[in-house]
Amino acid sequence: MQLALIGVSHKTAPVEIRERLAFPSEKMRAALEALMERAKAGEAMILSTCNRVEIVAEGPSDELVRQFLYDYHRIAAESISDHLYCLQNAEAIRHVFRVTSSLDSMMIGEPQILGQVKEAYRIANDAGTIGTHLSALMTRAFAVAKRVRSETGISQSAVSISYAAVELARQIFSDLTGKTVMIIGASKMGELAAKHLKRNGVSSVLVTNRTFEKAVEVAKVFEGAAIPFEHFTDHIDRADIVISSTGAPHFVITKAMAERIIRHRKNKPVFFIDIAVPRDIDPAINEIDNVFLYDIDDLQQVIDANLKERLKEAHRAEEIIDGEVRAFCTRMQTRDVVPTIIELRAGIEKMRHDEIDRYRKKLKDFTPEQMAVIDQLTESLANKFLHSPITQMKEMAHDERGAEFAETVRKLFNIKAVDPPSGE
Amino acid sequence: MLALLRLALGLYFLGFVHSVLTIIRKKETFLVPAAIAMAAGFICQAASIGIQAYGIQSFPLTRLSESFSFFAALAVPVFFTVYWKYRIPSLSVFAFPMIFLMAFMANIGYDKTTDRPAILMSNWLYIHIPLVILGYVALFIAFSAAILYLIQERELKSKNPRMFYHRFPSLEVCDDLAYKSLAIGFPLMTLGMISGVLWAHNANLGPQWEFDTNILLTFFTWLIYLLLICYRLIAGWRGKKAAYLAIVGFVGVLVTFVGANYYGSVFHSFTQ
Repeated sequence: MQLALIGVSHKTAPVEIRERLAFPSEKMRAALEALMERAKAGEAMILSTCNRVEIVAEGPSDELVRQFLYDYHRIAAESISDHLYCLQNAEAIRHVFRVTSSLDSMMIGEPQILGQVKEAYRIANDAGTIGTHLSALMTRAFAVAKRVRSETGISQSAVSISYAAVELARQIFSDLTGKTVMIIGASKMGELAAKHLKRNGVSSVLVTNRTFEKAVEVAKVFEGAAIPFEHFTDHIDRADIVISSTGAPHFVITKAMAERIIRHRKNKPVFFIDIAVPRDIDPAINEIDNVFLYDIDDLQQVIDANLKERLKEAHRAEEIIDGEVRAFCTRMQTRDVVPTIIELRAGIEKMRHDEIDRYRKKLKDFTPEQMAVIDQLTESLANKFLHSPITQMKEMAHDERGAEFAETVRKLFNIKAVDPPSGE
Repeated sequence: MLALLRLALGLYFLGFVHSVLTIIRKKETFLVPAAIAMAAGFICQAASIGIQAYGIQSFPLTRLSESFSFFAALAVPVFFTVYWKYRIPSLSVFAFPMIFLMAFMANIGYDKTTDRPAILMSNWLYIHIPLVILGYVALFIAFSAAILYLIQERELKSKNPRMFYHRFPSLEVCDDLAYKSLAIGFPLMTLGMISGVLWAHNANLGPQWEFDTNILLTFFTWLIYLLLICYRLIAGWRGKKAAYLAIVGFVGVLVTFVGANYYGSVFHSFTQ
């Protein structure tokens, strides 16, 4: 297997470069066909997302693939060559595993990339550009991604404000089903948090805003109820989660108000999320039992802690990938070499039988015992001839040049190329 | 049957190790093997109790160590029931060491002699002690849930929740578990006490039994729990205050249960 990977990512190229190299999905099929033809690739797939454009090809030299990329996008080589990375064999395999496991993502552990890789693989498969090598590689990559996800915590905790809010709400209420959220002041961030909460089971949404029309508009989105701003304090007792993001210069919710709320709710907990700057909610209310208040900095702190934890987990993920790359390379190299050994043995054995048959007439006077000795002698000779090349090939199986060596042996002994056996 | 009891203790020790490792590494890596060890320990212990019961032709509950043993043996299936209902792995951090400790004390106090104090040989024994101990197991679960609640609450209030909090149940679940186990434990304890009173009355223990130290302490513990139930039902207490009171109550349970031998108690000394 001769694997080449050429690409740019958010780590090596600014968006201006990435967008020029992108392959739109409707043109992907044609691009794959062009790639197969122009780069003389045996197998190929293209991954094109907003953060990366990568071509994985089996067979061609990276030079041909690079040339294809320049030609296809009609870009001068010098304008992008600094941003391109070219990886081969083991390094290419490692890169594919890391990308699929979301270790190379802008946000480590984000789950979308796996879906994007799967989609790219599906398109290439439909276009008929996937063969045994890439199929084996990608199947393993998906398994590695799954392993990394389940054995490390890299995608465990929330790393966005709105998702952190959901996660905290879950730590207070466990099940959000049947819970009520109130949005005070319609803002993008507040709506986003409410949307996440709603998706996670929150059943009713109350919206209040200084301009009532805006409240009605937002309430419609969430199939909730709009409440005039003057009356929101009459309804706030119903809310288990309160998201506040008004532009008010003073506190909208005071400690006295929170104390009254908790009394009316018979101590049922309330989670206040204050994403306004300047703040809407008196920070002192966090001292009240069963009241939990997080402002924008607190949420950011949670996210930072989670991120730190993700980075720690990413180290463990890299170790998993190290092992996987080694195992995969060995398997691929053995896969290149083993069929050659088998065919070589079979070829020589056939040659021996043919020769014995050819001489059968001349040997007709021989007793069966003597025939057995001739059989033994020829077999022993064949084995002696084969001993050295086979031992060498077995040793080379663990080497990068294994495939190359096997190819030479094939040429020397005139063995026809056949598909390597499938399966592990 | 000490061999079986010791084997059970060894298996429970694995559960104890799991708890220590979980606290150090903040990860429940060995929960499954530990749970299997606990279940195997339970089978050994149940067999040990069964064989002993056959030997003395009555259920071994008259000694303090036997009560500890009974507590440990009950706590294992109770833990599994709660786990099945609530899926709280972190509960094992409290339950397993407690079970180990109780089995350990049962081992120390193990006495294979078969003579039993005549005063305790009554059918009331089989009502009074199981009720009380089952009640204590339930109250122990309430205590563990209360501690989980307080840790989780502190994490959330600190606004700097560490990784640990992901592995803890939500506040609502902790509070719910604490309340439900209180709602089961308290009536059991009450019935246990009533059966004790009836037993004392029937056995003509004389006029002074009410002033037995242990009985008085148990009564105080019972009052704490009564207070907690009332606060929860009437004043709508929940969360932190309720958790504190559940912990105080269980300290009372431990004092009366473990300390039963030590304050010159006449009827609860188990060792007459």
